[in-house]
Amino acid sequence: MKKRSHPLLGIHSYLMLAFIYMPILIIIIYSFNSARLSGNWEGFTLDWYTSLFQNRHVREALMNSLTIAITSTVVSTMLGTAAALALRDLRGKKRSGMNGLLYLPVIIPDIIMGLSLLVMFSQLNMPLGKTTVMIAHITFSLSYVYVVVTARLSGMGKQLEEAAQDLGATPWQTFRHVTLPQIAPGIISGALIAFTLSLDDFMVSFFVAGPSSTTLPIYIYAQVKRGISPEINALCTLLILVSITLILLSQYILNRGNNDKKHKTLPI
Amino acid sequence: MRNSRFLLPPVLLWLSLFLVIPMLIVVGISFLSRDTLGRVVFEFNLEGYRTFFDPLYLGIYWDTLVLSLLTTVICLLVSYPLAYYIANASPRVQTWGLVLITIPFWINFLIRTYAWVLLLRTQGVVNSALLWLGWIDEPIQMLYTYGAVLMGMVYNFIPFMVLPIYVALEQMDKRLLDAASDLGASRWKAFLHVTLPQSKSGIMTGAVLVYVSTSGMFVVTDILGGAKSTMISNIIQTQFLGARNWPFGAALSVIFVVTSLILILLFNRAMQARHQRVGEGRA
Amino acid sequence: MKRRGWTRLLAAGLVGVLSVGLLAGCGSEKETLHIYSWADNFDPEVLKDFEEKFDVKVTYDNYANNEDLLAKINAGGSGYDLIQPSDYMVKTMIESDLLEPLDMNNIPNFENISDTFKDPSYDPGNQYSIVYTTGVTGIAYNTKYIQDEINSWEDLWNPEYKGKVLLLDDNREVIGLALKKLGKSNSTTDEAEITAAVEELKTLLPNVLAFDTDSIKQKMMQEEGWIASVWSGDAAFIAAENPDVAYVVPEEGATIFSDNYAIPKGAKNKELAEKFINFMLEPEVSAKNFEYIGYSNPNTKAMEFHSEDYRNNTMINLTDEELARTEWLDNVGEALQLYDRLWSELKSGR
Repeated sequence: MKKRSHPLLGIHSYLMLAFIYMPILIIIIYSFNSARLSGNWEGFTLDWYTSLFQNRHVREALMNSLTIAITSTVVSTMLGTAAALALRDLRGKKRSGMNGLLYLPVIIPDIIMGLSLLVMFSQLNMPLGKTTVMIAHITFSLSYVYVVVTARLSGMGKQLEEAAQDLGATPWQTFRHVTLPQIAPGIISGALIAFTLSLDDFMVSFFVAGPSSTTLPIYIYAQVKRGISPEINALCTLLILVSITLILLSQYILNRGNNDKKHKTLPI
Repeated sequence: MRNSRFLLPPVLLWLSLFLVIPMLIVVGISFLSRDTLGRVVFEFNLEGYRTFFDPLYLGIYWDTLVLSLLTTVICLLVSYPLAYYIANASPRVQTWGLVLITIPFWINFLIRTYAWVLLLRTQGVVNSALLWLGWIDEPIQMLYTYGAVLMGMVYNFIPFMVLPIYVALEQMDKRLLDAASDLGASRWKAFLHVTLPQSKSGIMTGAVLVYVSTSGMFVVTDILGGAKSTMISNIIQTQFLGARNWPFGAALSVIFVVTSLILILLFNRAMQARHQRVGEGRA
Repeated sequence: MKRRGWTRLLAAGLVGVLSVGLLAGCGSEKETLHIYSWADNFDPEVLKDFEEKFDVKVTYDNYANNEDLLAKINAGGSGYDLIQPSDYMVKTMIESDLLEPLDMNNIPNFENISDTFKDPSYDPGNQYSIVYTTGVTGIAYNTKYIQDEINSWEDLWNPEYKGKVLLLDDNREVIGLALKKLGKSNSTTDEAEITAAVEELKTLLPNVLAFDTDSIKQKMMQEEGWIASVWSGDAAFIAAENPDVAYVVPEEGATIFSDNYAIPKGAKNKELAEKFINFMLEPEVSAKNFEYIGYSNPNTKAMEFHSEDYRNNTMINLTDEELARTEWLDNVGEALQLYDRLWSELKSGR
């Protein structure tokens, strides 16, 4: 295989990675800092980790956030991918209309999304809670998935699918064995964005959340007034560690028994 | 194959319920009046739209556009090589690259941004390091400046740029590049005429995502910029909260959404037209 | 292989989500009080004591400012039983018919509250609210950098403090302090007075390092700024971490504020909320709670249960003389639009 990347590209990429991780490193370091608020280094401690595990509110917020993020990622990835595939067959005004509609959630300011959904839910007498937060997250995430999957589809011809159908494959078989593998990187990238957005959303969640559906961002935003506790730094450190471990593990499981060396490993 | 017949209805149903109806409420509010307490009153009024043409708000909107465009351009310049590198790396590096780039953004936005405060403040890590190296004699005021805001924006939206570009580059037929180099094209020429056009859809998607997200963001200007500048979304926010002028806030949002949609459309057109010209040139 | 992994993950995710959802659905049957308040505004042990004493459950969710709270309560159906709006917000909510009147028969401990904070101008006769904590927006300054005596809002304009002044990110508070400097009411509706105050603030801009409400404390603790407009409770908070920081209520006068207990309209557990307020006003409980949160306690009966440190803290316990030169922020009606517009003008520099 020819080497396509200039060495400068590699250097640039590692510098970018360093840039991205600079604040993360600070968070990890400060999770061991005994100072509660001053922001100066006052000595090493593990206290924040111990008190984190005793903090019922953080635990509940984390559980809520994860439940909501996983559900909304799964649903929005399916809906967003369906939208992208469906629009491929549309032409003309119908297509541009749908395209505009699907771009809306990306454009709409968060506060508008949150408030308008809140007004609607309360008009419908829907109790606010995890369900309403999930609905809101699915609505904005599906657009991001749609956008990314469409970027993938637009660079992809239909020849393979047509060939499969000519060979007698059912639409479902064609989808599973031809289309899906081709667009998988798009779906996975879209799902990554959806998960990230859901986990990090404050404004929309704030308005559509009810009693005991506080998510991690809502909890953290409210904490700012009294000064964010270093427990949160400890939590973030653990989250990073767990994420990386889970990904390593899934890689290991996927690669086990996979002897086809040419086969490309995907992020999931 | 007509996928749309059974794929479209669920999406349409969802969007009508949770997007179209709430948006109609907002559009409705934008044409209504308010009482002194800030409650919406059912009385037709165009005041919200009229207020927007106040030079103050037009100016703030202009500032927002400039900052968003700057962010998008810088983000594209730093992200493209990264996406390119990942897309051309071995499968293992690809996996790790994507995941490593996304994970930091699972950490709460506020926490990340406050970490930047710790890095950039006058007694912060960066200033201390520069002082220790002897490159500067006294701390530089980096926080609460335009540069800090710009950096914060670029930082937060890197994944929005890298992921779509990666998605487009990864599916590129790499034999084209080999063919180009076999035909004696320089690396740079091959990139310009083969790679770049093929990644167009990714660039477009990334640019739109970053542009739109930046123009809707204000927490970065508040925390890293010391709240010394105002974005259009700050104004929208206060109309719904502190100033209790929902009709004006709703009108601003409608204007914001419509202008963004138009910009995206124009951008799409321009990219397509350019692509056609490039295609003809090659032919 | 690739595809199988993908679908397997999807399936696992769905199963996980469903089971978590089911588990979350099985709540307890106990009566539950849904509190909606500022973060960390109660001693968690005190909440636990309440749960045990009355055999109930307490949920505690947070908001970060009064406007967020109003928007949420305004839309209706929030599901909360007890909220803690500030003074001017109590008035707004009363006017918008968003609060339930309190049944004082269920809150006999109301008597324990200092007369100074009974029957406030924003809720005459305490029909809808009871004060929780109070404070004054004054000046905090770092004596390490500022040797001059500080006693006036004028001092913020000192050219020596260029780029070292911090202001709250709040139009009413900051325009209010400029109005005080000019000898006017902090709640004027006179256009000329408001405009004059904002013009005055424009000359302050070169001195301003940042506008910040939430983390102005950290900026003072970490000595990024030398001098700032802050709430007295926050000043006590800053001084506890950085003893060089002093606090003063300026001689021209300042804005006083309070956070209050109130019950939103249509609350499902109104009586339980009243029981809770009464419990929190018991002298011993109140003292324990305020030792934890470190703000000013308007409960006079609780004073004897407070520590020496708490009682001697001059930033927590302001003197009557200091309180005498303070003024509540009143609703300004239509003039709010002018405050908002001029504030945007000031901050955008246009």
